[in-house]
Order: sequence, then C-alpha cells, then structure tokens
Amino acid sequence: MRNAKPEMRAIFIIILLLFFTFLIAPLLVLFFRSFVSDDGGAGFSNYMEALSNNTLISAIGNSIKVSGATAIITTTLAFALAYAVNFTRIYQPLKSVVKVGILIPMLIPTITYGFAIMYTFGNQGLLTKLFGRNLFEIYGFNGLLIGYVIYTLPAAFLLIHNSFKYIDKKFIIVSKLMGDRTLRSFLNTVVRPLSGALGGAFVLSFILSFTDFGIPASVGGTYDVVATQLYQAMLGSIPDFSQGAVIAVLMLFPAVAGVILLNYLEKFNFHYDKFSETELTPSKFRDSFFGAASVIVLLAMLSVFAVMFITPFVTAFPYDLSFTWQHITSIFQSNDLVSVYRNSLIVAVLTAVLGTIITYGSALLNARTPIKGKQTVDIFSMITNTVPGMVLGLSYLLLFNNSSLKGTFIIIVLCNIMHYFTTPYLMAKNALTKMNPGWETSGELLGDNWIKTVYRVILPNSISTVLEMFSYYFINAMVTISGVIFLVSAQTTVVASKINELQHFAKFNEIFVLSVLIFLTNLLVRAVCDALQKRTAIYKK
Amino acid sequence: MLELQNISKQFDQKVVLENIDLKINSGEIVSLLGPSGSGKTTLLNIILGLTRIDQGKVIFNDEDLSHVDMKNRGFNIVFQDYALFPHLNAYENIVYGLRNKKDTASVEEVREYIEFLELKPHLKKRIGELSGGQKQRVALARTLVTKPKLLLLDEPLSALDGVIKESIKERIKSIAKEFGLTTIIVTHDPEEALTLSDKILIINQGNISQFGTPFEIINQPKNNFVKEFILRQLQIKRQNIYNLFGEKYA
Ligand SMILES: Nc1ncnc2c1ncn2[C@@H]1O[C@H](COP(=O)(O)OP(=O)(O)O)[C@@H](O)[C@H]1O
Ligand SMILES: [Mg+2]
Repeated sequence: MRNAKPEMRAIFIIILLLFFTFLIAPLLVLFFRSFVSDDGGAGFSNYMEALSNNTLISAIGNSIKVSGATAIITTTLAFALAYAVNFTRIYQPLKSVVKVGILIPMLIPTITYGFAIMYTFGNQGLLTKLFGRNLFEIYGFNGLLIGYVIYTLPAAFLLIHNSFKYIDKKFIIVSKLMGDRTLRSFLNTVVRPLSGALGGAFVLSFILSFTDFGIPASVGGTYDVVATQLYQAMLGSIPDFSQGAVIAVLMLFPAVAGVILLNYLEKFNFHYDKFSETELTPSKFRDSFFGAASVIVLLAMLSVFAVMFITPFVTAFPYDLSFTWQHITSIFQSNDLVSVYRNSLIVAVLTAVLGTIITYGSALLNARTPIKGKQTVDIFSMITNTVPGMVLGLSYLLLFNNSSLKGTFIIIVLCNIMHYFTTPYLMAKNALTKMNPGWETSGELLGDNWIKTVYRVILPNSISTVLEMFSYYFINAMVTISGVIFLVSAQTTVVASKINELQHFAKFNEIFVLSVLIFLTNLLVRAVCDALQKRTAIYKK
Repeated sequence: MLELQNISKQFDQKVVLENIDLKINSGEIVSLLGPSGSGKTTLLNIILGLTRIDQGKVIFNDEDLSHVDMKNRGFNIVFQDYALFPHLNAYENIVYGLRNKKDTASVEEVREYIEFLELKPHLKKRIGELSGGQKQRVALARTLVTKPKLLLLDEPLSALDGVIKESIKERIKSIAKEFGLTTIIVTHDPEEALTLSDKILIINQGNISQFGTPFEIINQPKNNFVKEFILRQLQIKRQNIYNLFGEKYA
C-alpha cells in the first residue's frame, strides 16, 4: 500500500474546510433556522404557520402540477429526439444539428426564456401578430410550461441520449427475426432497456422545474409557485427569514426524494461492455416521422429565442420593424449595464478557475490517492447534487449575512462552485479513474515528487476534461439566477439578476441585449474550449 | 546481493506471502514463477518498496532497506502495462527522469541505450503509435536511464506475441549481461522462466515451492507442485511439438 503524502493531506484538509464552511454549515444553519420562531422559541411553529398559509399551499400544488406536466412533455420530446439521433437513418447532418441545437438553451439564463415567450406568444408577440389573435393566456401555467420544457429539454436529452449508447442494436434484429410485430419489438428492445433513463429524465425535469426561479420570475404572473414564494418571503416587502427557511426546507424535500429516486433508477440502466456496430434496418415511416418530429421541436424552440435576436435590432418591436443600432449603442454607453456585464464576467471567470481547481483536486484525491476518508468527497458531491441553487443561496444569506463576505464577489463565486460541483467532479473522477494507475509510481521512480507528477503527467493527460469542466462552470455561472438572487448586492449585480430588476421598468431591449451578450460569450467560451480540446486530442490513439 | 529474510504479507486477513527467504547474487537473472494469484507481483512490489511488508527484511548489499522509501532504494521497475506517458513521445518518455536528476546519464549514454534497444527510428512517435514490442523497449529504456541497482520486470512478455517475444527475451538477457544488472522477472510461463533466467523462484500460494537453477528444477523437482504444474506443462508442450514435427525435431 502506498502511503498518503503530506501534500495530499494538505489538499484534503483545504477541501474539507471549504465544504464544511460553504456547504455543511450553511445548510445546518438553514435547517435550524426553520425551527426557530420569530419570538426566539424553538419548535414547529414556523411549519404550522407555513401549512396554514393558503397561498403557499396552493403554490406547492401549482409547482407540482406544472412540474409534473413539464416532466411528461420533456421526457416524451427528449426521447423522440434521442431516438431520431440514435436509432433512425435520417440524414446525418440533421442529427448533428439536433445534437448541437438542443443544447442552445443551456447558454441562456432561464429568466430570458420568459421574456422571449412573452414576445412570441404574448399580446404583442410575434406569433400573436402572425395569427392575429392570442393563442392562449401566456402568464401563468402555459408560459411556465413552455419555459420549463425548453429549460429541461437539453438535460433530459443528454441523459436519454447517453443511455441509447448502451442499447444493443442487435436486439432489434433478433426481435425482428423472432417475428415480433413493430410495437412489441419497439417496447422490448428500446423502451424497456431505456426505462431507467426515461424515469431519470422525468425525475430530473421535475426537480429542475420545481426549483427554477428565472422562468416564474418572468412569466409566472399571478400563478404562484414555490420558487416565487421563497423569493417573496425573503426579498418581498416584509422579509420573513423564518418563513424563508421553512419554504427552503420544503423545496429541499422533493429534491432529496428526486435524487434518491434517480440513484434507484440508475439500477435499471443496462451496461454493455461490448459494442459492435450494427446496421439499422431501413424504415421509411420511422425515419420520416422522427425526422419531422425533431425538426419541429427544434424549430419551435428556436423560434421562441428568435425574438431575443430580433427585438434589440428593430426600432420598436413589433410596431416599427426598421433596423437600428440605437438600442445596442445606448446600452454600451450605459455605464450601469456595462459594469453589470463586467461583473458577470468576473464571477464566471473566477467560478470557472477556482471551481475547476477545487473540483479537480477533489477528484484527484478521490480517484488517485490512498488517503483515508477520501469517500467524504463523494458524499459532498451527492449533497451538492441535491441542494437547489435557491436553497443554497438562502442558506448562505442566513449564515454570512453579518460577515464581511456579504455583498462580495467571492460569496457568489463560492455558491456557484458548490451549486455546480457534481457534474465537473464526476467528469474529472471518471477521467482520472480511467488513467493508468502506475503513473504516479513511475513518476516517483523517475525522481518526481507527487505534485510534480500531477503537473507533468496527470494534468497533461486530462487537459481535455479540465477544459470541459472549465466551460461547464463558466457557462453555468453566466446563466444562473436561482443560485445568486439572494447574494448579489448593488455592487455585485450580475446580468441574470439585473434582468430581474429591468423587467419592472419594462426595459425589454436591455434585457434581450444582455441575454444575447451572455449567449455570445458562452458560445465563444464553448468554441474556444472545443478548439483547444481538438488540439489536445492528438494525444489519444 | 539482494537478500529477503522471512518476508510475510497479508492483505486484510488474507495471507498472500509467507516466510519468503532467499538470496540473489549480483548480476543474476531470477524469475518469479507461479500461477495467477500466487503473490508474484506482491513480492516484486515489496522489493521495489511500493508495498509495505508486515514481517521480515529486505537487505541489499548489506544495507537494511525494509523501511527505506521506494524512491530512495535505487531500484526501478517496468510495469506489465508499461505505464508510459501518452502525452509525451517515445524520446520524451525515455529522458523523463533526467529532468529531475540531470547527471544520472549523459547524452552519450542515453544514445547508447537507444541504440542498444533499436529505438532510433521510433523516437518521435507518440506512445499510441508504437507497437507492443516497441512500447516494451521504450519502457525498458526509460527505466535503464535511471541506472537502477536492481531491475524489476512484471510479466514483460505476456502482452507480446510470438516472434517479438523471443527477441525481447534475448534483449533482456543481453541487458543484464551487458550492464551487469541484477534482474528479477515475474512470469507465469514455465518455458519463459526456464529459458530466460539463471535461477527460478517457484511460488505457490504465497510460499516458496523451490528455488534453483533451471537444471535443478528440471532434474530434481522438490515436490508435487513443481512436478505437476511446472514440469507437466513443459511435457505437454514437448508432446505437442513432437506430434507436429515428428520425433527427430524434438
Ligand atoms: N492491494 C491489494 N489488496 C488486497 N488484496 C490484494 C492486493 N494486491 C494483491 N492482492 C491479492 O493478493 C494475492 C496475490 O496477488 P498478486 O501478487 O497480484 O498475484 P500474482 O501476481 O501472482 O498473480 C491475490 O489473491 C490478490 O487478490
Ligand atoms: Mg501479477
């Protein structure tokens, strides 16, 4: 057995301290705070108060209803798209377009979706004008549903798409040879092996919708959901920290249940080691049906975002559609908005750099060192995966409100790092586990100390993963609103939270320009990371 | 001279090595031979200093190394899967260690190793572009450049096929002779062990079954295990060759 080196211990201690201070402690404070009533007594009085609050009860009901509807629609659409990409013989470039296009919403803050929906379906909306009448009431259930579906589609698609890779296409051929009819064959060879992933997509879409703040903040109208209730309790006219804590704990419940369910559903996933390329049988009907379906879904989604790119460039949407640069220039002349954009960049860069370092260090300890207690990192990762951004932000507010961290960039950055820890951690862990276990020993025998081997061998061989982690952190830090809404101050306002303010002044041009700016920045970062990844790919066989 | 005194090792509750006691003279090639799971790799890693011992001593040239760190023992190993660094080319792999200790080998000596292992045409290639035998030789070169006092090889031939296997075998022999290197080789193949080494240590379930020269093993097998599992394999092989080529080629 190799011994743990002092460097490893030092890093481990730093990571433990970070997680205890910025994850465990805030959550404990939140939990205890929910049991302390306004007069200082301890007990369930806050919960009793919450449960007798009809608005809150109906908000919970609404959240469940709209999140459930979202989950059904998203899972169906994501399945259709993943099926089209993996199991049909539609035109190859179309598959690539679907795979890339479906991810576009990830580059835009959810709060923008709401305004895009208004400008598409609302009273003055693009489609409303085209059809000459309101298609349906946009504020409330319908608007939320459209927004949530767009928001959750990329994540659900990725999950199902990845599981498709584990289905053996030969089963389909065997089933055909056995004389199964189309439907039976489809159920047995596609739906059944995917049941874990489909359930996973459903649960994931539900949790994401249940805990998102951006969409209800823009298009929720008077339709109360849990996220807006939590916001009201904390930042409304009369802040009520006890009620806030209770609502946060209530929001945590479905998230915890969801994650447990996701882990359970994982068991239903098939894992084949052997892959053999198998020709798909031709089917005109299948290909045209799924080809058409994916084009329609993609176009519908993109048409919602189209207004975001049109509005800022026309004089007065939708009345005067003449082209103008005026909105753009006026925004770049406004110090206020430029500094907000700069704030977002600062937060995103810091989150990406520090987040990647912390996450990589955690994964390194867990995957490639013999240090005792390294499994705690996995537990932290499970917790960060469970806690919704709003809940984490609120617990920071409770713990750090009287500290010097209040109103700083660093608290926002730390919240982002914790909030988005799980995915980059698993990326790094996965990559590091796959590497040759003898490298550290070889490096040591060739005269390296551990840090040196990490720097000279481990890091260069995982640079592609590091870039992936960096862009994941950057993009999410750029778009998140639920994580930071309780933490921004006048000096540290970021674009997503600024948009929330701007809507009260009906400054939609500004909203869209800022959103486009975020979108383009994210696109650029993604493109640069992709290009760098391609350059490092030559290391691989 | 390498001396192992009464070495024992347990993993969790499971005894993997028991009372291993032997002496290896300088410049000898010794094979550790035994079935899979018998503890060969564990013993190699103990000598290397990667695995700690529960009991016993590792003594090299009269110095007790039992509690000396792997790094300070001055031994080196070629792992079964080579553990080459894929982001570096063959040459960069070979000279990796020189960045840390510049004076271990001169440019001239490095050139010699490269020539000796016939690696010149492959120096610029990435690890992924090398064949199994070429990787093996790069890994050997990378190890030799550090001038180890003891060369350890874990199943150096098992990943190679047919003809290359024989050529690497010869290469290992000539390295040991040329550089006067004490070499310990792990293998599970009796033919390999008996044709490659000066002495063979046969391990069975963590115990020494027999330690001796190929001649002694063949002619005076000490117990049933050596007879049944080691010699029997060779006899079957011989029979197969008879059947293929006829008696006169035996
Ligand atoms: N790190 C370890 N932890 C627990 N058991 C181990 C470890 N390394 C080896 N073993 C066990 O010790 C025994 C001997 O292993 P090894 O030395 O690798 O055998 P060989 O190289 O002869 O095939 C095996 O039963 C193996 O499972
Ligand atoms: Mg072995």
